[in-house]
Amino acid sequence: MAGLAATFGSGAMTNSIPEFDEAELFFVIGSNTTAQHPLIGSRIIKAVQKGARLILADPRQIQLASFATMHLRHNIGTDVALLNGIMNIIISEGLYDKEFAEERTEGFNALRSVMEKYTPRVVEMISGIDAGQIEEAARMYATTKKAMILYAMGITQHATGTDNVKSCANLAMLTGHVGKPSTGVNPLRGQNNVQGACDMGALPNVFSGYQKVTDANVKKKFEDAWEVDLDDKVGMTVIDMMEAAQKGELKALYVMGENPIMSDPDTHHVELALSNLDFLVVQDIFLSETARMADVVLPAASFAEKDGTYTNTERRVQLSKKAINPLGSAKTDWEIICEVSRLAGYPMNYTCPSEIMHEINMLTPSYSGITYTRLEENPGLQWPCPDEGHPGTPYLHKDKFAKGFGTFMPCEFKPLIEVPDDEYDLLLTTGRISHHYHTGTMTRRISVLEREAPKPFIEINPLDAKRIGIRQNDLIEVTSRRGSIKAMAEVTPRVPPKVVFGTFHFHEASINLLTNPVYDPVAKIPEYKGCAVKIRRCA
Amino acid sequence: MKSIDKKDVVAALKTWATKYHVLCPVNKTNGDCIFDCLGEDKLTLDYGKPSLAPKSALFPQSEIIFEVKDDQYHEVISRQNTILFGIRACDMMGILQSSSFMARDNNDVYYRAKADATIKVVMACKGPQNETCFCTTTNSGPFAESGFDLQFFDMGERFLVEIGSREGEELASGDFFTDVKDREAEGSIAAFKEKAKQSIPRVAEIEKVAEMMKNGAIDDERWEEFGKKCIACGGCVFVCPTCTCFNVYDLVAMGDSGMRIRGWDTCLYSGFTREASMHNPRPTQGLRLKRRYEHKLKDYNEKDLLGGIYTCVGCGRCSDVCPVAIGILDVTRAIAGDYK
Repeated sequence: MAGLAATFGSGAMTNSIPEFDEAELFFVIGSNTTAQHPLIGSRIIKAVQKGARLILADPRQIQLASFATMHLRHNIGTDVALLNGIMNIIISEGLYDKEFAEERTEGFNALRSVMEKYTPRVVEMISGIDAGQIEEAARMYATTKKAMILYAMGITQHATGTDNVKSCANLAMLTGHVGKPSTGVNPLRGQNNVQGACDMGALPNVFSGYQKVTDANVKKKFEDAWEVDLDDKVGMTVIDMMEAAQKGELKALYVMGENPIMSDPDTHHVELALSNLDFLVVQDIFLSETARMADVVLPAASFAEKDGTYTNTERRVQLSKKAINPLGSAKTDWEIICEVSRLAGYPMNYTCPSEIMHEINMLTPSYSGITYTRLEENPGLQWPCPDEGHPGTPYLHKDKFAKGFGTFMPCEFKPLIEVPDDEYDLLLTTGRISHHYHTGTMTRRISVLEREAPKPFIEINPLDAKRIGIRQNDLIEVTSRRGSIKAMAEVTPRVPPKVVFGTFHFHEASINLLTNPVYDPVAKIPEYKGCAVKIRRCA
Repeated sequence: MKSIDKKDVVAALKTWATKYHVLCPVNKTNGDCIFDCLGEDKLTLDYGKPSLAPKSALFPQSEIIFEVKDDQYHEVISRQNTILFGIRACDMMGILQSSSFMARDNNDVYYRAKADATIKVVMACKGPQNETCFCTTTNSGPFAESGFDLQFFDMGERFLVEIGSREGEELASGDFFTDVKDREAEGSIAAFKEKAKQSIPRVAEIEKVAEMMKNGAIDDERWEEFGKKCIACGGCVFVCPTCTCFNVYDLVAMGDSGMRIRGWDTCLYSGFTREASMHNPRPTQGLRLKRRYEHKLKDYNEKDLLGGIYTCVGCGRCSDVCPVAIGILDVTRAIAGDYK
């Protein structure tokens, strides 16, 4: 998000889901779309069957690979190099959109001077992708009018995540593939409301609608509305909080709907941090691994028990109504927050979610026109939607970038922080499967999903399996410098040689015992996509 | 035969609702039509093909089949006297075939209890409800030949009502219904039926592919092509009027209580046939699709057909919902096209 905000001025999917149907080319990098966004993935499949082309950059042989015009199985952690290599060709062959670069962007010369170094030969050495293929991909993307870039966690979950995103944005601006239907840079958000949570300011540096906490005018607006004094300092990220907790600088933590014991890298480190707190509150619908450590657990209502809105990956705010009242002592999140706030001495007197939405409308320019009255009659509204007469915005940056000019921000390739060596000789990359959601708090309680994916597994290439002496379904031990897990081997060419793949869904073999707690310096996202491990077969 | 004025239908349903749980077509704000409880001003008589088959009235998406409390087992066989009002002929055939299938071998008491307690009122179709209707190919519409308690025919200002059973006759003997004995009404129904039948073209590809399946003429590679696209969402199965696969699982509550539940399942999920050794006799998505379509068009028990031709009833919903266009119409058209 930070990368797109810096280059375009807005950290969200630029275009909309229905526009996939009309696209002529998809450049999918770091997204297992059919598994993680199956309805978007199926639009890609249908568009490809109608004649659209698909450039897939993914080390794994995912389902989309069978529909790819080109499948670039680049080395893990070499996204910047690959994207730079593509831009190198586009610039040197004059395939870029000169008019767009001149009129809508800034920093082209800086981009050109960095890209010059990334010739196809150089990039071939780094990424493992044949120079000829890089050239072909570059020409295909640059010369197709309706070309969309899609990415997900495969781009962001790296210590160079922000650089990866900036490079995607550079590529789209270079070719003028932004600000038009069926184009753009489209980060697929992994949860039904992660876009909404960000929009509402669940970030350390902004209020709702990405209004900066450091901006005096913004601060005053919120102070007047809430009748309190507000802090103008940027807060801590999750990662900062864990570090501060471990050092004893953070005393109390209130976690809502998150399970950091399983979702943060290097589980042992997280456990130490949480146990060092004086006070831990967890608000969740189930007693998660993290909730088990809490001093107080606040039972929250599930989606079926509450009214409210969700903002999906295409910035569409949609109304959701409860089917039943909350069971047992569970309460909706907003009611819990209001009660806690009242007890803490700041009464919040909302009586229903629509009153809260009214406040959002008043204080958040991009949400001003998204009222409950309109949502009752519309299948959702896409922000920015500045007033009640505004129809919503299917695609961003139409005539002008959100920040004025788009800024090219060229990035140099930086390798993975922890690369395999003689002892830890394999590269572990992590991801998800379609049957389980994140740490399994919900999905592992669903019988059919649990039957479909009952056990932790590690994908390993047949060449590596043979060398180590591992057969299909053998129990294996995977060890990194931080920990060790046991899981079942799935011997499959889906992963390239020297790479193994696992998921973070299974508490009995939590992959984040292994992952490397190094972070992108800007977004503070961990490098879940690559760390060194060794594997042995359990006797 | 009976007749009822359109304007009286809501009142008639309300009378029925004093004794029965009435499920009827309701238009939702997002444009979907579903079978829902009768409520104030919710009923619609202007509706196409509801997006879900009404099978959940007899075979709920999930249901408790027994509970454990205080070290005691209690069997739970839920039933409620229900009227399914306004179902389409294809769905009527779906219920007939599923009832027969669920009664074979070990009679399924949970299904049977609800089937016996449900009165079926069919709304005959004037014509195709959308472009995927093909009930004339499967001999399961556009009107029902049997199985219904009442069948409504839309005649403009009023419905003519065909009586299918003693229960149906009782229902239609109250206020709002009048007896119709004239030849003219019979003629109107015959004309309605003929016109409706002519308006739904037969899909030759279904017949052709069914024949090819019998002769083993479709290569597995062809199925793998479809399998590559399948995202295994199970949507085709959940909307299908004749898919009745289920999974049984236990929920352990606090203390020593708990429940056993059965819920919808599908043969398109890999775990459905996976064995304890992890061996899977249907190892690929292509082979699982093959199996499902063969079950619809080839591998069924003749006894379950009950006037239909296949255990596909031609509702076309799988083609309506499939996100990657491999519903039965898409698949049979592709195969028939390949093997011209």
